[in-house]
Amino acid sequence: MAWLRTARPSPAVPPQFAAAVWRRIEAGEVDIPAGPWWLMRLADWLAQPRRALAALAVLMLLGAGTGLVQGWMRSHEVARARYLAAVSPQEPGP
Amino acid sequence: MNAWKTWLLVVGALVTAAAVFVLTSQAVARWCTGRLVNPQDDLDWLRREFRLGAEEMARMRDLHAGYLPRCQAWCAQIAAKKTELAAELAAQGALTPRAEALLRDVAALRAQCQADMLRHFVEVSRAMPPEQGRRYLAEMQRLTLGFHEQTERAMTPAGHTGHAHP
Repeated sequence: MAWLRTARPSPAVPPQFAAAVWRRIEAGEVDIPAGPWWLMRLADWLAQPRRALAALAVLMLLGAGTGLVQGWMRSHEVARARYLAAVSPQEPGP
Repeated sequence: MNAWKTWLLVVGALVTAAAVFVLTSQAVARWCTGRLVNPQDDLDWLRREFRLGAEEMARMRDLHAGYLPRCQAWCAQIAAKKTELAAELAAQGALTPRAEALLRDVAALRAQCQADMLRHFVEVSRAMPPEQGRRYLAEMQRLTLGFHEQTERAMTPAGHTGHAHP
């Protein structure tokens, strides 16, 4: 067995060999962008639950605000239609 | 994350956002409308639109209560004449002199009804503060007479001032 080892000598590992191997592995793992930069940023942003929930809450607040304005306007229209129907039943609404 | 997963996440988030916004606004609008409309009060619009106080509203209610029976009487008369006219047309299958007379009666009743309605609007406008009264009268004329003007304009070819039918 000793002569076999001498027939296939293992070379000495160069200095910083392990570090060099890791650098190469890391370089190989660099992601290829899966879309335009803004899409990636948006996806990253949305992938965080805290931010997604905050956005949802803001949207609900905006929706509620819009709904209040719409509701007020609609109630005004309904009240006007009621009055018109009461005083002018022959006439169709505007 | 690969490309399709990224797109799926972003598109899904945008659709969810739009749905949340629309559903919230619709729900709040429905709730708000239900809360703001007083189903028992036909005159609520006057109070809101013209910012009338309790005293002015009491006067409006008196005027309205005085006008309603007159309005109902006109409506009943018009409805009776229309029924008569429909029966005449159905029986004769043609525009007989009697049907023409009934048509004229319906038109005359409508004109009288409209005149009474305008008298009521003038009364109401005078019971309001001057600026609100002017605005009320203009609004009521627009809403009640404007419909006929629209119909008449629709029947008139563009650039022609006289009345004409296609």
